[in-house]
Amino acid sequence: MAELKRFLIRRLITFIPTLIGVTFIVFVIAAVIPANPAKMWAGGEKARPEVVERIKKEYHLEDDILTQYYFVMTKLLKNEMVSPVTQHYIWDDLKMYFPVTFQLTIIAFFFIIAIGIPLGIVAALYRDSVVDTAIRILALTGVSTPIFWLAYLMIFLFFTRLHWITLAGTPTPPYSITGIPLIDAILKGDLDMLSQILARFGLPGFILGFAGIGVTARIVRNSFLDSMSADFTEYAMARGLTKMRIYMHVLKNAMVPIVTVLGLMFGGLLGGAPITETVFGIPGLGRYMLQAIRNFDYLALVGSVFFVALIYLIANLIVDILYAFIDPRVRY
Amino acid sequence: MSSCDPIIEVKNLYVNFYTYAGVVKAIDGVSFRICRGETYCLVGETGCGKSVTAKSLTRLIRSPGRIEKGSVIYYRDGKPVDLLKLGEEELRGIRGAEISYIFQDPSSSLDPLYTIGYQVAETMKEHGRVASIKEGIRRAVDILRTVLMPDPETRVKNYPHELSGGMKQRGVIGISLSNKPRLVIADEPTTALDATVQDQIMDLLKKLKAEEDLTVLLITHNMGLVADMCDRVAVMYAGRIVEEADVFELFANPKHPYTQALLRAVPNPMKRMDKLESIPGTVPNLIFPPSGCRFHPRCPFAMDICSRERPPDLEVAPGHRVACWLYTEHGGR
Repeated sequence: MAELKRFLIRRLITFIPTLIGVTFIVFVIAAVIPANPAKMWAGGEKARPEVVERIKKEYHLEDDILTQYYFVMTKLLKNEMVSPVTQHYIWDDLKMYFPVTFQLTIIAFFFIIAIGIPLGIVAALYRDSVVDTAIRILALTGVSTPIFWLAYLMIFLFFTRLHWITLAGTPTPPYSITGIPLIDAILKGDLDMLSQILARFGLPGFILGFAGIGVTARIVRNSFLDSMSADFTEYAMARGLTKMRIYMHVLKNAMVPIVTVLGLMFGGLLGGAPITETVFGIPGLGRYMLQAIRNFDYLALVGSVFFVALIYLIANLIVDILYAFIDPRVRY
Repeated sequence: MSSCDPIIEVKNLYVNFYTYAGVVKAIDGVSFRICRGETYCLVGETGCGKSVTAKSLTRLIRSPGRIEKGSVIYYRDGKPVDLLKLGEEELRGIRGAEISYIFQDPSSSLDPLYTIGYQVAETMKEHGRVASIKEGIRRAVDILRTVLMPDPETRVKNYPHELSGGMKQRGVIGISLSNKPRLVIADEPTTALDATVQDQIMDLLKKLKAEEDLTVLLITHNMGLVADMCDRVAVMYAGRIVEEADVFELFANPKHPYTQALLRAVPNPMKRMDKLESIPGTVPNLIFPPSGCRFHPRCPFAMDICSRERPPDLEVAPGHRVACWLYTEHGGR
């Protein structure tokens, strides 16, 4: 365990340069665009010159880029940065939008695991059969279907025709344990709340996970096949092990690449799902970022990017830790 | 050959592989029997069907391979059972318990994610020899000691990647012998190991064979090992057994042109040789195997009949059979 602690510390230290690098690149791209942010923030063409001047001073817009970057980052991290567009503290906004996206991600991830993994296993077990071909076509469709198109089709079916889902509001329970309504409702056993949340988030979660289902099914199929044709599987048969036990060996060996893909996918989904959130009108991180871009609110954008990068790094770290539990060859 | 108490008898085995390129006739009418207590060798070049034969014995052939016909009679406590017709679950009870395997590459035979002790233990548990994995791991220490694993108390907790190649193969042998099998099929057990370790592993097999009263089917392409280990030898070429004899008889008096060429191609411990020869031509493509005798395109003594008809199995001396037209009235030898 001492090894694990040292590994964690080492990895956490590498977070710092990564985060600085990512935010700096985004900041530079936003800041060098030849626009006049102060004027836009002050109200556009009709803005009064003294207000523009004050904003320029307040946000150090005339300083060199490194000073600007330093100013933005320190203020952001201390939660002293107010968005000139929304007049909210940016960090507070992120904390508000993040649980919504997190909840959406959990649901999407649930669909990915619950559908993608069994499909992959079935495809591997019935390799080269009709079932396998059907699943592979489905997987390819999943990867290549435009998400917004599918989303509108589904809305048409489930909302307009069947009236199964809701498309407005965000169900929030009166209690808060983790701050994430879905988890809170499950912990409390509040079925009414849960069904409200699922009516609102179920379909967007499925849409968000749709591409992931295909990717996962393909990865699971391939790593399962690799593992089934491995020499140790043949030797396990030669040892006279039961089918169940052979599958245990096969499954565990197939897990390593699956965990990698799933972990990174989770990080990617968490990083905001701008299209899904926009189509379904869900106030999450992805939509927040899109709005920030539209309003030229690059301070909020840098804040979001920082947040997303951090989440991605943490997801990566968790994957690496999980590796060591699955594969004894992995050393910290 | 004196009396033979057979443990397993293969009759007229045919195995095909259905590949995209065509049907590979990998095993084409192979018959042999192994007597209790002996070491029987299958020798031949890579791709001649030795491993496929060995795996067919307990139906370990996987898709796209298929056993087409033939029978494998296993004498279980004197009662013959045909392993090719046995139910899957009954066959599983024989695999690893009565007939066990040692494969070529120990690094890939072992599951990298489980300790060696666990893999020994589960092999015993699955055959009901121990009640729990825990008990099996305790027993595994003794088993690893009998296969001369250094420091078995520590090694039992090691993962395969923490062991050397030789230690891994000792582990595999330990797994294979954990249920005290009657027949051990060693499929090129030392090919993946370096020469000094090869010797140690073969010595270990000899020692265990004597101690545990085993019958061994040894598959190899190494004539040195054949001379060292075997009682009787079958030479395979392109999916058929071309010659079978007592080991002394085979080295002293090889009959089949392929065996003769093979022995001229390796240092023969029984004869002084000035130079090693190679066999002209290449191994045939088994999708379109040569007609008649499969060796005839490379055979220096090929006659008309060789390309037309499959040679019969002839007993040229007691216990010495050869499939070659030279020893019939056509060849006049």
